[in-house]
Amino acid sequence: MSNDPQAGPVQTVTAPSPPGKLKKEAKPASLWGDAFYDLRRRPMFILSVVLIAILLVMSFWPSLFTSVNPFDAKTCELATARQGPSAGHIFGRDSLGCDVYARAIFGARNSIVIGVSTTIITAVVGGLLGLVAGARGGAIDTISSRITEVFFAIPWILGALLITATFRSANLGIWIVVIALAVLAWPMTFRIMRAAVITARNQDFVVAARALGASQSRVMFRHLLPNAIAPVIVVSTINLGVFISAEAALSFLGVGVQSPDISWGLMIADARNRFLEAPLPLVFPAVFLSITVLAFIMLGDAVRDALDPKLR
Amino acid sequence: MRVTKGAQIVAGTALLALAVAACGGGGATTGNPASGGAGDTPVRMELGEPQNLLVPSNTTESEGAEVLAAVFEPLVNYDENKQVVLAAAESIESTDNKVYTIKLKPYTWQDGTPVEAQNYVDAWNYAANQDNAQGAGYFFGRVEGYADLNPGEGKQVTTKEMKGLKAVDNSTLQVTLTAPFSQFKTMLGYTAFYPLPKSAFGADGKVTQEYGEKPIGQGLFKLDKPYKKGTDQAIDLSVYDKFPAKKPTGWTKLQFKLYNSSETAYNDLQADNVDIHDSLPASAISSAKTALGDRYQDQPDAGVGYIGFPLKYSDEYKDVKVREAISMAIDRKTIAETVFTGTRSPADDFINPAIDGYRQGACQACQYNPTKAKEQYAAAKGPAKLELGYNADGGHKEWIEAAANNLRANLGVEVTVKPFEKFANILDDLDAKKYKGMFRMGWAIDYPSAENYLTPIFSTGAIKTGSNYAGYSNKEFDDTVAKGDQAATPEEGLKFYQQADDILIKDLPYIPVYFYRNNSGYSTKVKNVKINLLNQVEWADVEKA
Repeated sequence: MSNDPQAGPVQTVTAPSPPGKLKKEAKPASLWGDAFYDLRRRPMFILSVVLIAILLVMSFWPSLFTSVNPFDAKTCELATARQGPSAGHIFGRDSLGCDVYARAIFGARNSIVIGVSTTIITAVVGGLLGLVAGARGGAIDTISSRITEVFFAIPWILGALLITATFRSANLGIWIVVIALAVLAWPMTFRIMRAAVITARNQDFVVAARALGASQSRVMFRHLLPNAIAPVIVVSTINLGVFISAEAALSFLGVGVQSPDISWGLMIADARNRFLEAPLPLVFPAVFLSITVLAFIMLGDAVRDALDPKLR
Repeated sequence: MRVTKGAQIVAGTALLALAVAACGGGGATTGNPASGGAGDTPVRMELGEPQNLLVPSNTTESEGAEVLAAVFEPLVNYDENKQVVLAAAESIESTDNKVYTIKLKPYTWQDGTPVEAQNYVDAWNYAANQDNAQGAGYFFGRVEGYADLNPGEGKQVTTKEMKGLKAVDNSTLQVTLTAPFSQFKTMLGYTAFYPLPKSAFGADGKVTQEYGEKPIGQGLFKLDKPYKKGTDQAIDLSVYDKFPAKKPTGWTKLQFKLYNSSETAYNDLQADNVDIHDSLPASAISSAKTALGDRYQDQPDAGVGYIGFPLKYSDEYKDVKVREAISMAIDRKTIAETVFTGTRSPADDFINPAIDGYRQGACQACQYNPTKAKEQYAAAKGPAKLELGYNADGGHKEWIEAAANNLRANLGVEVTVKPFEKFANILDDLDAKKYKGMFRMGWAIDYPSAENYLTPIFSTGAIKTGSNYAGYSNKEFDDTVAKGDQAATPEEGLKFYQQADDILIKDLPYIPVYFYRNNSGYSTKVKNVKINLLNQVEWADVEKA
């Protein structure tokens, strides 16, 4: 990070520091400005953003994509179970005679909601704790680091099974999945934030800010946070995809999203026994899931490359 | 940041491994192959975990009964025409249907001692005593003196014996009933009527834990080692040398492999990792026909599948109109055809067509009638939310989901489907009055008589001790069944049983959904597998292929 353009000014006055020597243009460059400039030119970024935009629209307005409401049991006709694609049902029907396409579309919402909420929770909780631990050091750092190590020692799938099974009776719906994943995933964000803050802590501009009498919180939020947040954003974006696939795994195992709610993992689990007879009800949710996870991981990779060119 | 990414790849792989493991599941739980001589590999059969320890009088579910049927020889068996044939009994005679004299064939216990009439007396007295809380105790309710052993909860049992049971000599047993019961002889084939050796009882007169883990019977197979419930994934047995009746040829070892999922067991069957699967999951049926060919069997079965209501502790379903509406909202025919691929038939009576007494179309409310169901449900102000529980280890998910969808679409209610990990869990929760929703229930007969669809499931007496999980109690029903029991001839008895059946159809404590057909399959390693009317394998006929 040492050759990053210095976003955090040395003085408390907001006079811009000289633009990075590497850039020839006259316009002032910042880490974010550079990153965005860089990103706009990457086909991978554009592709993933387009995919994610479609997914977001799909999860908030699924009715734009399908006129069938899969939550209405009337749309399922048991007598037509496992029929192949037809005019009204382009992906065919599942074992209960429900429209696979409509269910796959409506399944996006749970995946996105769970992925995004888990990411926000882990980024905020892990990020803040990591910031405090890294900036303060000492006992706070030691204790919180040990706590995260405890969480790291828990295999996530076992931990998630345990949490979802224990709180099943609380009827939290999909939020139980968010809680389980967030509880197990925040230490990762914590570690990354803490490491980045420790790197930034000893840099000249921070030392100078302290010397000029800036308060602890001012140093943390004005100087340390902006300089340490980039890796957290990258990891969170990639994790979003990982959380979505984790949700599908838990639903597949029967502890995540519960029927009659719709989830791709659940659809895959329901269709797997009859896979040889009727493969489509399994294939389509699996394809949706793969594309979604891929889109977020691609986005994360692109953001990482832009924010941290050294790793390219 | 490389470290992080690495961790993600690991996480991803772990996920994949898990998904694969979930498909392969129990494959890894292969029991240790029998240590017997070369070439004597066991015949392996799929089984769910028994609910209780292996004590005959406390085994009222199919999985434990399957094991016990291999270890014990019942007094009577049934032939293909559902007629009683004598097994461990030499003769069973009665002039008045009230006093029965049972002569025993000379059998020996698997520890070498001879089986005596007193062993039956001991076992039955133990089973009937309320202090021992045996699940099948009520089966002895017709024996004179049963009331003395069951004075009621909280009351002291003053005797240990039923007056009506007498060992006349070592090989003659005399049973006196409180009232004539024409079906008694038929009943004697049931698990609860197996004898127990003296060694089964501890110093306190109760059946010991050790015995429950390694029962000693007088049947075809003996257990090789104690079965530790919850940890063991297999039950190993071998043929008892001195068993006097027909023994299997060419093999001597039998292994029950415990599975949590019927689907996993089916995958193992295709891979020849298990030899006999007697309850193929619905989802496997269409592929089983092609994958197994001749090794797939579809035969009529006397079982009935129900959806039950917890009437004893939940008021939600108290109104019979609500139950009727729920019944009419379920499209049994399409479920039987699509979900079960034609391997079940839609139920229209409480008595299965395989048993005398069935009347086609007897249950009006079992006809699919969504319009009337909706009107009636709305008029009766049925609950807006319904819960439907099932056990996930028996291949029930699909039809339960289908039935739930029927209810959602036809009644306009919210339906939650609740899976229980094992059949034993749902039974335990019902026993403990913890579960308040509707539940899936099934009945595999104990003995081939119409009476068996009535007394053990719906009589008042069966609430506490039997399989009356609904908690249904109706005096008129109890009385009508009793009249049937006391009838002089089976034909006359049947008339009363049908009247009792009519009362059930009116009250619908359970709603009959389908009649079972038995869908079994066997591996390439065995042949001549026959499954009898009690859903048990005729072991002596099985041959190695």
